[in-house]
Amino acid sequence: MIADLKSATIEVWEHRELLEQLTRRDIKLRYKQAAMGFAWAIFMPCLIVLSGLIIRFAMAQISGQTLKRVDIANIAIKGVGWAFFVGALGFATASLVGNSNLVTKIYFPREVLPLSSVGAQAFDTSIGLLTLIVILPFLGVRLHTSFVWIPLLLLLLVLFTTGVSLFLSCANLFFRDVKYIVQVVLMFGIFFTPIFFEPSMLGARGAHLAMLNPLTGILEGLRLSVVQGHNLIYPLSVVVKGVERPVWEPWELVYSGVFAIVAVFGAAVMFRRLQHLFAEYV
Amino acid sequence: MTDVAIQMDAVWKKFQRGERHDSLRDLVPAVARRILHGARPAGELGRDDFWALRDVSFEVQRGDALGIIGHNGAGKSTLLKILTKLLRPTLGTYMTQGRVGALIEVTAGFHPDLTGRENIFLNGSIIGMKRADIERRFDAIVDFSGIGDFIDTPVKRYSSGMNARLGFSIAAHLEPEILIIDEVLSVGDYTFQGKCIRWMQDLLKSGTTVIFVSHNMDAVLSLCNSAILLDHGQVASKGELTKVVGDYYKSGGRWKPELLAQSNARTVEFSCAHGTDVLVDPGERVTFTHTISASTDCELTPGFFVTRGDKPVVDTTYARMRGHPLRLREGETATVSWSLAFNLPAGVYEIGYHVGDFGGGYHEHQSRACIVTVGDDPRVRGDAYVALELVESATGVRTPGPARLGAGAS
Repeated sequence: MIADLKSATIEVWEHRELLEQLTRRDIKLRYKQAAMGFAWAIFMPCLIVLSGLIIRFAMAQISGQTLKRVDIANIAIKGVGWAFFVGALGFATASLVGNSNLVTKIYFPREVLPLSSVGAQAFDTSIGLLTLIVILPFLGVRLHTSFVWIPLLLLLLVLFTTGVSLFLSCANLFFRDVKYIVQVVLMFGIFFTPIFFEPSMLGARGAHLAMLNPLTGILEGLRLSVVQGHNLIYPLSVVVKGVERPVWEPWELVYSGVFAIVAVFGAAVMFRRLQHLFAEYV
Repeated sequence: MTDVAIQMDAVWKKFQRGERHDSLRDLVPAVARRILHGARPAGELGRDDFWALRDVSFEVQRGDALGIIGHNGAGKSTLLKILTKLLRPTLGTYMTQGRVGALIEVTAGFHPDLTGRENIFLNGSIIGMKRADIERRFDAIVDFSGIGDFIDTPVKRYSSGMNARLGFSIAAHLEPEILIIDEVLSVGDYTFQGKCIRWMQDLLKSGTTVIFVSHNMDAVLSLCNSAILLDHGQVASKGELTKVVGDYYKSGGRWKPELLAQSNARTVEFSCAHGTDVLVDPGERVTFTHTISASTDCELTPGFFVTRGDKPVVDTTYARMRGHPLRLREGETATVSWSLAFNLPAGVYEIGYHVGDFGGGYHEHQSRACIVTVGDDPRVRGDAYVALELVESATGVRTPGPARLGAGAS
């Protein structure tokens, strides 16, 4: 297992220029002959935020509350994260099969194909993040010391996404229906991940269930540290009608971290062990 | 130099015929079957399995050029895919020492929407070049390809020839220690092909180890210094170049004689004293006998010819050269002997015969009745003196016996 990881790391590092070229290619191809140009990068996050606002508006109407500016920030920060996850998986799942002419003809570490999909999506997302940085102050977000958590949370998001991408690209090579399963799961995944809502809205029991989703810790962590200025070392809860509901529990971070690391290492080992079959099965 | 660049040790590769299960729905029954019957050992064949390579072993010394020949489906491509790490052998081991570069499907890494310039960087890094190397050789690549001002045009607007030339030029500048070439020298027009051949010869001089797969035996003979012949995944012959190339022709089998006209005479037998496949040293004499029988009275001109890869080397219709035909009565049989000293350069020669009217029409024509392989001799090169000795004898004698005929150039 260690040997697999070692050979994967060494080979990908040796081919880092190839990874860079393929990432550039993926980015170029997205913007070449594209009517929307760079607006494309924030198209998906914008749609996610809009859908979230409609849902939150409806919820506010029922409970007789008003929608606050900070709610837009809450949804936007998680929406950008989710858009990264969905976009990267969408492209990465098809990356090996889509490049079958390369896979069957030229040897290079195949990891670079899904990795370049994640890289190209990271480029798009960073445009989204930059836009967000400009907008957030107008939504009432102020500088907090809790911003120190942001790099760690983004790292965990990238690691987890990379792990799942490696796994799915490989699975789709052997089983072509994986792509469709992924599409369906990602389409409805937004309702199983707290993007439009917060776990505490589901009640004490529901909040704990929602926290089992490894993305909850990462995305809620981002929201709390950026928008609420909450230091993630400490738990946070709200009391609704005399019942305490959890908003944040520090173990979520550990849980998501373990998930991300296991995902990326596990998938890397699996990918390495199977890649000699790619040219034959693709 | 004695260091080994490539070593294949008893390599076997198993493939499966027909469809595989490639959706998750089919996985469950397949797994269930596997649990019930147990996994098959690597060395055993399943119902739909077959061996694409069987027990292939060979060695290539650094700086040598090995030709891999064989008929379609013999396993050449599978072997190359193992050497380029695309496939892993089912059994056996192999090793390559040095950077391996391949001139196979040179445009595989191209993306149609990117420009020639972008594709040079992309394809260059896909085949394993460093960015700095590509930058350094960029002008040379563009120059070699002859793409010129089109370098900033998307390759989807290139002609297929331009596409292939650019791909070849990138791969040609990889500068590998081991180069694997699969039938790509036919890229581009006449001028570009000439450029490729010169480039290959320079490469061989510079000490690059080359594996060359081709159906063009003249190219194999001129570029390689040893060869292996694959047949149904097995090494059918290996070692000395001309012997292996000879075996390749032999494995192609004899051709059926062609009967060209309503014939009143036909060949009973055409044979060589040493068998139908002969390996000779340069200058060695081989005698062929040609037996013809007539069904009616007729005047014939038997002929004998030698070709090398479709190019005529020796061609004779002896009777016309002598000014009178071979006359046969109904039921008569004549035997003509052809004796040829193979003072020819190393290579594979196909021997054929024909039977014609004295007027010039053919009755019968067969190429590749025998195959003679002339071994390599460093003293023999270029044009060679050909002494053709013709011995004629016929039962029911009408024409005088043994005659000598000299023909040649030096």
